[in-house]
Amino acid sequence: MNLLTALAIGILFAAGIYQILRRNVIRAAIGLVLLSNAVNLFLFSAGAYNGQSAAYSAAAAQISDPLPQALVLTAIVISMGGFAFVLSLLYVISTRYKTSDSDEVKGLKN
Amino acid sequence: MQDFFLALPLLLLAAGTLTALAFLRSGWSASRLGWFLSLFPFSSFLLVLYAFTLVPSGKALTFSMPWIPTLGLNFSLYLDGLSALFALLITGIGTLVVIYAGQYFGGDVSAWRFHAYTLLFMLAMLGLVLAGDLITLFLFWEGTSVSSFLLIAYKFKDEAARKGAFKSLFITGGGGIAMLAGFLFVISLSGGADFKTILSSGGILRTSPLYPVFFTLIAFGAFTKSAQFPAHIWLPEAMTAPTPASAFLHSATMVKAGVYLLARLNPALGQTDLWFWTLSIVGLTTMLVGAYLGFKQNDLKPLLAYSTISQLGVLVALIGQDTEIAFKALVIGILAHALYKSALFMSAGIIDHETGTRDIRQLGGLRKQMPLMFGIMGTAALSMAGLPPLFGFLAKETLLASATHPSLPPIVDSLFPLTTVLAGALLLAQAALAVWGVFLGKPANEKHPPHGHDPNFAFWLAPAIPALISLLIGLTPVEPRFLVDFLADAAKAAYGDKVKVSLALWTGINVPLILSMVAVTLGSLLFWQRGRIRLWMTNFLPNFTANALFDGTMSGLDALSRTATRLQGGRLRVYIRIMLMSMIALILLFNGTPAGLSLPQLEWGVDGLNGLRMFSLVMLTASALVSVFVRRDLYAVIALGITGLGVAVWMALEPSPDVALVQLMVDILATVILILSLSLIPRKLRDRANELLHSRRGMARDALLAGLTGLVVAGLTFTALNTRPRESVVSPFYAENAKPLTGAKDIVGAIVVDFRGMDTLMEILVFSLAGLGIYTLLHYATRKGGDHTREEAEQLLKANSPHGIFSLPTSPMLHTLAYIMLPLSFMLGITHMMYGHDQPGDGFTAGVIISLAIAQWYMLFGYYETRRKLAWLNRNNMIAAGLTLAVLNALGGAVFGGGFFSPVDYGKMLGLPLPPGFYLTNSFLFEVSIALSVMGAATLILDNLGHPREEDLEADADLAALEEKP
Repeated sequence: MNLLTALAIGILFAAGIYQILRRNVIRAAIGLVLLSNAVNLFLFSAGAYNGQSAAYSAAAAQISDPLPQALVLTAIVISMGGFAFVLSLLYVISTRYKTSDSDEVKGLKN
Repeated sequence: MQDFFLALPLLLLAAGTLTALAFLRSGWSASRLGWFLSLFPFSSFLLVLYAFTLVPSGKALTFSMPWIPTLGLNFSLYLDGLSALFALLITGIGTLVVIYAGQYFGGDVSAWRFHAYTLLFMLAMLGLVLAGDLITLFLFWEGTSVSSFLLIAYKFKDEAARKGAFKSLFITGGGGIAMLAGFLFVISLSGGADFKTILSSGGILRTSPLYPVFFTLIAFGAFTKSAQFPAHIWLPEAMTAPTPASAFLHSATMVKAGVYLLARLNPALGQTDLWFWTLSIVGLTTMLVGAYLGFKQNDLKPLLAYSTISQLGVLVALIGQDTEIAFKALVIGILAHALYKSALFMSAGIIDHETGTRDIRQLGGLRKQMPLMFGIMGTAALSMAGLPPLFGFLAKETLLASATHPSLPPIVDSLFPLTTVLAGALLLAQAALAVWGVFLGKPANEKHPPHGHDPNFAFWLAPAIPALISLLIGLTPVEPRFLVDFLADAAKAAYGDKVKVSLALWTGINVPLILSMVAVTLGSLLFWQRGRIRLWMTNFLPNFTANALFDGTMSGLDALSRTATRLQGGRLRVYIRIMLMSMIALILLFNGTPAGLSLPQLEWGVDGLNGLRMFSLVMLTASALVSVFVRRDLYAVIALGITGLGVAVWMALEPSPDVALVQLMVDILATVILILSLSLIPRKLRDRANELLHSRRGMARDALLAGLTGLVVAGLTFTALNTRPRESVVSPFYAENAKPLTGAKDIVGAIVVDFRGMDTLMEILVFSLAGLGIYTLLHYATRKGGDHTREEAEQLLKANSPHGIFSLPTSPMLHTLAYIMLPLSFMLGITHMMYGHDQPGDGFTAGVIISLAIAQWYMLFGYYETRRKLAWLNRNNMIAAGLTLAVLNALGGAVFGGGFFSPVDYGKMLGLPLPPGFYLTNSFLFEVSIALSVMGAATLILDNLGHPREEDLEADADLAALEEKP
């Protein structure tokens, strides 16, 4: 199972990277979300325990590591905010430059 | 306390620099300011003199205070004979130069800048020679480079001045860096940075296999600073500095810094073959090249600069030798050169100031007009020429004595005297050239003879004093005891052993005297035939400038930086590729292959939760791949949403219900926002973007890169998962203390709102700021100041977009659903907030759930309808309320609970009757504030992305234009 999980996260990551490298900025934005998903899962794997039960006090079985969970929780919300901001940038780019091709968008001036 | 005394001269000069700056708007003339400011270097001079009397003969006075104790760095000072010789020259000549500069700039009220630079430079220079360890020395060394840059570029409107300043900074600064590297070797080998340690560990240093490395580095620093061939090219160009600066920097101080360093380190690093050969070859070459090039010059300042280079070569060559007489010649040479060269430079400045030119071809016959200057400059020039009874004669005699010393290796025993005699002859000819050209002889243009007269007292006093001292030392029948002892002390510090110094001019007829006579004869011959020889030199003989080397280096650096910037061509994708490749390389370099990778560990069993896990993995990988390969972006977005759901399922199986819940909600919200923003971008533009093609090779390269990155991440993940369970330092603390300290059963919730409450506060701040940023971007940045005012545009848009998203009509059933969902979402959100501490769910979830219901409204009713129906929904106020409540709540913890974010149970405190399982704690209030700000920011985002664009009105025209594009 560990190997499969690792491979799945790797594939998710690779898909994100590949999308980010597209010229189409919409694809790049999609890649960003894929990447943040992959990174969150990767952070989960940094948890120290093989959890049998959710992280609640006085649980009967071994709890899952609460620390990465708390970090990922924060990460999800922040990447959501960042993602929304990227999308609005994307809109600005497409209206200003009349293109969604990142190769055509060079320099910060008009 | 007497040791602290050593720092006083430095502090005085620092105070002087600040005082000069304080006269910024005083309107004081330069000369008045010069007199006043000369008090600082003069008292410094007296202090150094006094401090030197405290030094026991042959020993050193030290002062040290901790600077960066954790790195073992001290700020330390060190005063012995050698540093005293330099320190007295610096402050003594410095005093004269400050007075002189005052006269030079006369009534100029903006010369405070020059005075400030001079004093700053003096501070750095004095610190350099008083430094007690290599790090302090390096600090001041760089200080001289920077402050001399300021002085050389004083007339910064002149391009030559800027170029000269840059060249000197580049060359000496580069040398400084090499020198620092060398210092670090020395420090680590000898086990300390202070001179006491280093000078006593000469044995270790000289026998170290690294000796050639650090010797080369340090020598490089010293050679560049002291203008040794081929780094000498910066010195003539630095003559663009105002003359007072040249007189100071390029006679007595800065260029001697390299000589000082070599002399200082000689007892530790010297007396090796490498030392001898390097210093001798470089020194003698420099001596000859400098003397040779100087003879060609017509401008007084470059002429003096080249003779300085020649003299510096002499000093370097002397340090290379391992004889007593060489170090006697060294200290006498340093003193004699500083005296006559500063007098000559200052005289050249006066002549330039009074007649308006420094070119000897236009000068001549000024003897009658400027008798005083003739006397002063003539005396100094005699000393430079090495004629009796001047001090310079003594310097040349001792030099010749050391050049003919029997201890020299047989290969060079004739080369040394030969070059010395040749250079001596050339220097004599130069000295004669300068005096003849200015005061005797005839001006080139008889009709326009130069006009000038002797300057006022203060102006000529400055060059007169060193010239007079040169004369007096030579003339006194009795050797001044203190001077002899002083020089012997200085020589001993450099040589490492006792040196006998005598200042007697007449030592009988011996080899040096005969050689000296040869040099004088040869020099006179050169001077006699100067016209022919100089013409011949200019036209036929090489120029020995290493400018080609310098220019080559510069253009090489330019090319390098152009290559470097070519990588940053503004193509973000290239940047990302480079980052990824570096990341992969770094991880592979330091991490190797994942631990415990072997096939038998594969478990294909679907028992228990593994089946579900596999389902989630298949779901997320498949949808991720679909999002890559599907053509239309809308489908890719939907696939992306499914990936997020798969991730949520996987998280729920970890098990971590809180995160899974948030992931689920956020995934839906993200998809909605993505679709909303896609709807903003004109359809044609999106279609064109979807059709964008990549070359086959580019795609393969990207796929390879992505695959490699994926593999690396998979390897890391596998290692992490396979080494479970591990010991955790932090998690057990949270697990044990969540209930007792915060009252929450949900450990993750406790971490988020209690243990790491500050993180969460920052997080909602970031989220709110993202909302506000989007508002700013979309509200203002994209407005086109077009044909409509804001109000008109609003009216038009209102009339033209009655429908929901994508301007499609939506079904009434969905409308009804939206009406039901909104209050339900509020109930659900409030429950989450109330019971989140014992169950999955918290403020984020609550905020996002409500935002989703609102998003549904935007999708179904469109912007204007939603704003009208939900007018009470004020997103800005919600953000403000959420953030304020969060901060107040944290402060409440400080008031009632004993610390920022400390848990407080208000319900218990006030004795309120509350439903079971609900506690009115500040954690609950924090959850409320989180929910409020998330809701506010999310609504703000939806609001702005859902707002019809003014551009939409003109979209038709834009699209038509796009069609025409190829």
